[in-house]
Amino acid sequence: MPPAIAAYALTRSFDGFTAVNHIDLAIEPGQFFGFLGPNGAGKSTTIKMLTGLLAPSSGSVQILGQDLFYNPIEVKRHIGVVPEGMALFAKLTAREYLRFVGRMYGLDKATTEQRSEELLEFMGLTDQSKKLIADYSHGMGKKLAMAAAVIHGPKVLFLDEPFEGVDAIAAGTLKTMLQRMIARGATIFLTSHVLEIVERLCSHVAIINHGQIVAHGSLEELRAGVQARWPQDGAADAGDTSQGRLTLEQIFLNVVGRGAAAHPEQELSWLS
Amino acid sequence: MVELEPPAQIAPAPSAWTPAQTRAQFAAIVWLRWRITVNSLARRGGAGELAGRAVTAMIFLGLLFFLVVAAGVAGFFFAAKGHLDRIAWLLWGVFLLCQLLNIQLGQPAVNFDPTQLIRFPMRESIYVEIRLFFGMLTPANLAGTLMAAAAALGIAIATPSLWLYALIALGAFAATQVLFSRMLFAWVDRWLATRRAREALTAVLLALLVGVQWANFALNPVYDHHRTSAFHLSQQHLAWASPLIRISGPALKLLPPELAASALTAASHGSSLRFALGTLGDLAYAVLFLLIFALRMLREFHGENLSEAAAGARPGRADPATMHASTAAPARRAAAADSEPADWPSTPLTPSGATAATQRRVLDIILTGLQKEILYARRNWGVLYALIMPPLMILIFANRFSSAGKSPIWLFPAAVAYILLAVYPLSYNSFGMDGTGVQVYFLAPVRLRDVVLAKNLLIALIAAIEVILIFCLISFQAGVPSPNIVLATLLWAAGTLAVNLIFGNQRSLSAPKQVDPQRMLQRQSSQLSALISLAVLAGCYGLAALFFMACLWLHALWALAPASACFAAAGAGAYELHLRSVDQSALQHREALMEELCRIG
Repeated sequence: MPPAIAAYALTRSFDGFTAVNHIDLAIEPGQFFGFLGPNGAGKSTTIKMLTGLLAPSSGSVQILGQDLFYNPIEVKRHIGVVPEGMALFAKLTAREYLRFVGRMYGLDKATTEQRSEELLEFMGLTDQSKKLIADYSHGMGKKLAMAAAVIHGPKVLFLDEPFEGVDAIAAGTLKTMLQRMIARGATIFLTSHVLEIVERLCSHVAIINHGQIVAHGSLEELRAGVQARWPQDGAADAGDTSQGRLTLEQIFLNVVGRGAAAHPEQELSWLS
Repeated sequence: MVELEPPAQIAPAPSAWTPAQTRAQFAAIVWLRWRITVNSLARRGGAGELAGRAVTAMIFLGLLFFLVVAAGVAGFFFAAKGHLDRIAWLLWGVFLLCQLLNIQLGQPAVNFDPTQLIRFPMRESIYVEIRLFFGMLTPANLAGTLMAAAAALGIAIATPSLWLYALIALGAFAATQVLFSRMLFAWVDRWLATRRAREALTAVLLALLVGVQWANFALNPVYDHHRTSAFHLSQQHLAWASPLIRISGPALKLLPPELAASALTAASHGSSLRFALGTLGDLAYAVLFLLIFALRMLREFHGENLSEAAAGARPGRADPATMHASTAAPARRAAAADSEPADWPSTPLTPSGATAATQRRVLDIILTGLQKEILYARRNWGVLYALIMPPLMILIFANRFSSAGKSPIWLFPAAVAYILLAVYPLSYNSFGMDGTGVQVYFLAPVRLRDVVLAKNLLIALIAAIEVILIFCLISFQAGVPSPNIVLATLLWAAGTLAVNLIFGNQRSLSAPKQVDPQRMLQRQSSQLSALISLAVLAGCYGLAALFFMACLWLHALWALAPASACFAAAGAGAYELHLRSVDQSALQHREALMEELCRIG
């Protein structure tokens, strides 16, 4: 079975600056995959290339065994995306928007209507469905973007910061939905700065830094990797692990945090 | 955790805010506005935008020059003829024009939200000053002030003894009108904080603009070709307004334009006291407007929240039992999705591999896109205005051109050309209103050409409706146009549509402009695109006019329809070729498109 998402030597440069540099990814079907990295590391650029929103400078992407660039329409049938800007149409109502997206993904009218209603109810947007999206709060927009991303029942879901600005209740609802999708065999590719969420949801994680993948594997593999490095690197940086397993935050800081952390002599001495 | 340095080593903060810091804040805001302008021009397509702005600025300066000279001449004329009281007419004109231009040309500081300034350490009074100062620098206020100055100069040249009085009185008047516009727009912004209020006010404004145009056509003798009876007709038309003018006259005398005029009249009669009273009256208005403006700014400064989202947000219905139950639905649907959609084409969507299912799917995408475009058009007051206004104008003055129940040969083509001026330019920024939604077109399994075709179909649909409406109106008001002319016009309009769509689609992809759905009367495309659309239309109109004149001269009007048919066929062929290249072009401009449309702020 081909990987659900595969990237080969994916590279993207902007005016001489290489945002993503020869990254290789292979995400198996059914994985809940967390894609982490500091700000500006290349996460959004990568997700845009994986979903066809951005052309790579070089390299290729395959989704469910099909090449994204040679067969984009076939690939797009099977993927759902919540992109960085949420891709909402401000002058539509939520119901109109879902109807539009459903039809654009090839659903028939009856199915689109039925799923729109279910999704609006599921997301708690039914009583807001006559309001224009322009009048939605950020969190409501996020929920609607999520609803639109799954309306066609995608096999692979790309989520760029899906929980940003979403309240705890809605976040719980969304998590439940995502876990059920995973249980039914979908693959989810998620970026988030909230490491606790990634740790709770994801089975596999990749960390990107300065445009390159610096760690890749299951959480257990990453833990083992970091712990194996500790004797050389010094345990203090990663925190005390004697009480239990390393958290994802500790792994993340250990992998990318050192270069980014301020040195004591660089402390902002004028701060009170 | 690392300890911070002891307080002793922290640089002592200044104990009091200094005037130098305030000056620095002003300078920083000037710099910010400058940088935002420069950076926006430095973006891709910035050079074209700069050229477009330069052309627009030259047109505006030309108009401004004309208005300023006219105001100066009028001031000179009234003073020289000893009718200084009639300066009030001029000042009313300047006052109303200034406010109208402020509405049409927009307010400054649109490139950043000035209410963001409240998070910085500044005194209330400084915030008010900043908002006042930066809001005054509008093209309309500049025009109003220069016209008042020109009127003062005209008066001073005609009656040199009044130069100081004219300077003071019209200076006070200019200050009053500028402060009035600041006050008005500060409060209008407040009232327009909600979308519904914005739309309601836009509707009122549009009605007002239509009314003004109607009054212009109905009452202005220039637009009546029966010149001999024009003045008489205007007097008849105005008769109903006479009692209104009589009643409101005394009240109008207490308003700034009348006060300035009465002050000048008093000065010419040597009454310094009445001059001072009139001028002080004007200044009192200025102070009143300033206070009302300051009141609004102080509310802003203290952080009022007018967010519609915050006001409308209600807690979600987080009934765990319901949610748990409803999660089963997507589960069932997701399982079903594996087999859906049944009619999805399994082959790539290429013309050669087209199947019945593919064609059905393509048609479905186009219709879905069209439905969405219709919804958007319905909710865009700027577009609605552009569409409603021209037929209304035709309705108002078409009967003036009727001759013995027959419409003149040129009327229908001219009316269609006029209508298309409003419709076709809409295609030059067809993704502008989509904002971040544009990503859907690249994420969904659709061809961009189908999306573009749907957008183009809307333009064609609107044009068709407008042309049918115009045909009915002209037939009703001025007589049915000849079939030959109708056919030639329709074919020419179709050819012009094709040409405009080719240019418009290319500009929509290569030079998109984010159109904020929250702002009314915003330009619908970039400056350069607007100019290109005008140039393309002018080219098409010029070509048609030349051919029309030639046919008229050669007494061969029968040739109009075949020639227009050739033009339409050539246009359709070129459009078909263009449509084939849209996907490629969209991919080439994908990043620029998203960079512009998905940007925040």
